[in-house]
Amino acid sequence: MIDSVCSLCVSSLVISVEGLPRPTIIIPEQHILIEGDDEDNPYVAKVIRLFGDGEFGEQMKAVVQWFVRVSEVPLSKLKLLGREPHPQEIFHYQGRICDDEVNVESILRPVQVTVACVHPKVLGHKMCTNITTDVKSIKFKNIDSWMSGHHLLTMLLLFQQIMPGTPRTPHQATPSIPCRSLPTRQPANILEEARARLHVSSVPESLPCREQEFQDIYSFVESKIIDGTGGCMYISGVPGTGKTATVHEVMRCLQHAADVDEIPTFHFIEINGMKMTDPHQAYVQILQNLTGQKATPDHAAALLDKRFNNPAPRKQTTVLLVDELDLLWTRKQNVMYNLFDWPTQRHARLVVLTIANTMDLPERIMINRVASRLGLTRMSFQPYSFKQLQQIIMSRLNKVKAFEEDALQLVSRKVAALSGDARRCLDICRRATEICEHSTTNPSATGLVGMSHVMEALNEMFSSAYITAIKCASMQEQLFLRAVIAEFRRLGLEEATFQQVFVQHQALCRLEGLQPISVSEGLAVCQRLGACRLLLLEPSRLGVLQRVRLNVSQDDVLYALKAD
Amino acid sequence: MSKRKVKDVHRPIGECITQVQQILRERFCHQQLPDRPEGLEAQYKHLLELLRRSAIQGESNSVLIVGPRGAGKTMLLQCVLRDLLQEKEAQKNLLQVHLNGLLQTDDRIALKEITRQLNLENVVGDKVFGSFAENLAFLLEALKKGDRSSSRPVLFVLDEFDLFAHHKNQTLLYNLFDVSQSAQTPVAVVGVTCRLDVLELLEKRVKSRFSHRQIHLLSSFGFSEYLQTVRTQLSLPDDFTDRGFAQDWNSSIQTLCEDKSVEEALQRHFNSSKDFRSLHMLLMLCLSRVSVSKPSIKPADLLDASRLCLCDAKANMLHGLSILELCLIIAMKHLNDVYEGEPFNLQMVHNEFKKFLQRKSNSMYNFEQPVVMKAFEHLQQLELIRPVDGSSAKTQREFQLMRLMLDHSQIMEALQKYPQCPTDVKQWAMSAFG
Repeated sequence: MIDSVCSLCVSSLVISVEGLPRPTIIIPEQHILIEGDDEDNPYVAKVIRLFGDGEFGEQMKAVVQWFVRVSEVPLSKLKLLGREPHPQEIFHYQGRICDDEVNVESILRPVQVTVACVHPKVLGHKMCTNITTDVKSIKFKNIDSWMSGHHLLTMLLLFQQIMPGTPRTPHQATPSIPCRSLPTRQPANILEEARARLHVSSVPESLPCREQEFQDIYSFVESKIIDGTGGCMYISGVPGTGKTATVHEVMRCLQHAADVDEIPTFHFIEINGMKMTDPHQAYVQILQNLTGQKATPDHAAALLDKRFNNPAPRKQTTVLLVDELDLLWTRKQNVMYNLFDWPTQRHARLVVLTIANTMDLPERIMINRVASRLGLTRMSFQPYSFKQLQQIIMSRLNKVKAFEEDALQLVSRKVAALSGDARRCLDICRRATEICEHSTTNPSATGLVGMSHVMEALNEMFSSAYITAIKCASMQEQLFLRAVIAEFRRLGLEEATFQQVFVQHQALCRLEGLQPISVSEGLAVCQRLGACRLLLLEPSRLGVLQRVRLNVSQDDVLYALKAD
Repeated sequence: MSKRKVKDVHRPIGECITQVQQILRERFCHQQLPDRPEGLEAQYKHLLELLRRSAIQGESNSVLIVGPRGAGKTMLLQCVLRDLLQEKEAQKNLLQVHLNGLLQTDDRIALKEITRQLNLENVVGDKVFGSFAENLAFLLEALKKGDRSSSRPVLFVLDEFDLFAHHKNQTLLYNLFDVSQSAQTPVAVVGVTCRLDVLELLEKRVKSRFSHRQIHLLSSFGFSEYLQTVRTQLSLPDDFTDRGFAQDWNSSIQTLCEDKSVEEALQRHFNSSKDFRSLHMLLMLCLSRVSVSKPSIKPADLLDASRLCLCDAKANMLHGLSILELCLIIAMKHLNDVYEGEPFNLQMVHNEFKKFLQRKSNSMYNFEQPVVMKAFEHLQQLELIRPVDGSSAKTQREFQLMRLMLDHSQIMEALQKYPQCPTDVKQWAMSAFG
């Protein structure tokens, strides 16, 4: 608080500050603290000039350059810094919401602001600041960090939103997830290393067992790029057979070849039917990837049409990968029609690679003209055989000895017999390493993942829990299931009403020597079984009249209920 | 504070009772988390290790927690999260997103909720800007830019997971599982559901991307463990302010659990359902009878509570009906017996009722047609009878076909306890044919 204002000199101001014996002088270019809402965190500012306002110049005012503290900057903008801010750091404020003029009565005291040294060449994460501190003289240590030009620009953007007022639409929003405080640790032992390699996301540079398919797709796309023509290819296969991964590998190799000037340059775009909310969004995404423009679906379709249909001195071939093609189906099929029609134009230079799951998708869901434009260049990825799965795991592990031989064989055979899905295989192996690492009852003799661990993982991930659920159900629930089977046998049908089953249930209760239950309790038991989907029920508003079906086979129920 | 002082603390009885009520209600009603979930050690360990690897080492994972209603799925997850967040590294880094299939009924709403909870850049205050397509593209872009070693891992908890599988194209699930299997921001997707056949709901592409890890909460504990659970749930903790009172209370609970009739009642409950939720409801009813004048739980309390829980709901409603309505119900029962459950209408019921009246010479129950119609409508409002689907608008009300929603045993039970039921009505009910 200022006790008294002593003079009206424009070049300097003398104030008395509480707690200091002598009056203090405030001059331009000095940093000061200004009274704010928070007593502990007053505003920081730099005096630009002092002047007298009002009729006779009696009201002293100061024009200031505001600074903002770290706490006042919104979190999302702080991330733009690219580094952790110092808690006492302040930034220039260049927005226009705040008034630059303040009454001198609100000045608290002067404050020291020191500049941090910044390595001139280094930016971003590696920026380091030397902080000078002076503990004794003042309570606050303020460091004004001067950014390089790049960051200063972002600072300008920051301050538009600081002062309270109506929130503005974030039209400069950048998508990002916040960063960790420390980077993750490296794997500590062999099993952790194996787990990291067996994760589905660590796709290797070159996929084993897909050499032939790689070669076919590579030669197809390469020839189109070199000739400067367009074309379509349809790739099919059940999930988990490496279709998308192979195409990515092809494009990586082609990109490398283009970088060393072996083939002309090209532009690679990728869209995915499942990652779109509507088939027409495909146009929006393609346009955005091609030219960076944002447009509505109809406008985007028109622009792309113009681009691909008109001859223009186009230099680059565009390679478009369409994943999950069946989701781009519309009733008139115009999205698919356009995607396959554009490559047929002479000057379009568009190569379209489409991926889906069923081999006969063109014949089943496409109308004739769309299917014919798709053409006959088709490739089918077969599910992996057990040898191939084994080879995939071995190549992933790549000399990390974590599995016993026969354990690997067991996993490969089991998965190959069921689906031939590589993801399934890798997940089971990963689970097996976890079981091996944390098992206290069955520790591995050799430190490797053995048959027992793999069998446990297989049981966990392949079994259906119906039998266990029936075994763990309460007595009345088990009786009810038996009553259901008894009623089905009596009627000779596969469905009955609750009322009929209840009669049987009461009879069974009497047989077992239990007290008969009320209808409400019976309904509750029935509802619980229906919630787990051991039984299939009609809506419960039908009360005692609802019909009941079994979701498990009768043999399974009887096996589970057999007295043990 | 010296040891002697602590021992001699005696609070007035009212204060003790209030405190007991507060502690026990926290346990039964407010789902206070126990220190360690009982009987679920293996599942607890599995889930904790999984989430720890995700939070600390940035490994992406997906898992489903499956178990019947009231088995403790959410409790297990909350316990694991609470223990995980005690580690500083996990607490500083892990971002959490909680979704519920009943609240986010659509992918559009779910996306807005995810964006809001992650506080991405297109959020200002509570409002999320952008259309559905823009939100999806923004979120996917944000997740794609991250990587395993430097981005904060995100934990997605999806309650009522099976409802998410009913959204159009299962877009959200596909994208979440796809991120968990790509080299992007590490995510851990935890789904909680009670359906055992949840995997059959997933489309083949989504199913392939899911890691097929399931944690089943199927407890095979027996009646002795159940009794033990009752005892621990009702006991007071050691740090209760009045030690003497706590000891008295705990010993009274011990004697309560050893009482034969109490054991029988608990056996009946255990036979009906093993889950925690119904147990808590029963114990809550017992607790509500504890007061200053009666500062302990007696066996009679538990037997009363048990009777309340297990009584039939509809039979109670029948006690509130008028004699005319009761007679109509009995007439419907006779019709059901004769015609083996075929639907009936008001005219048929009225005729049956008139047959009873003709045999008895008193005309006390001889009501006019509109009065009988009113009684019939009242029964329909109480949902004791229900129209057969389809014919509601076209036919006249007296001729609309209905079905009785009560069971034979419910009517008989209600009749036994009906206050001041006329004997001839009772006899009519007992006889085979009207």
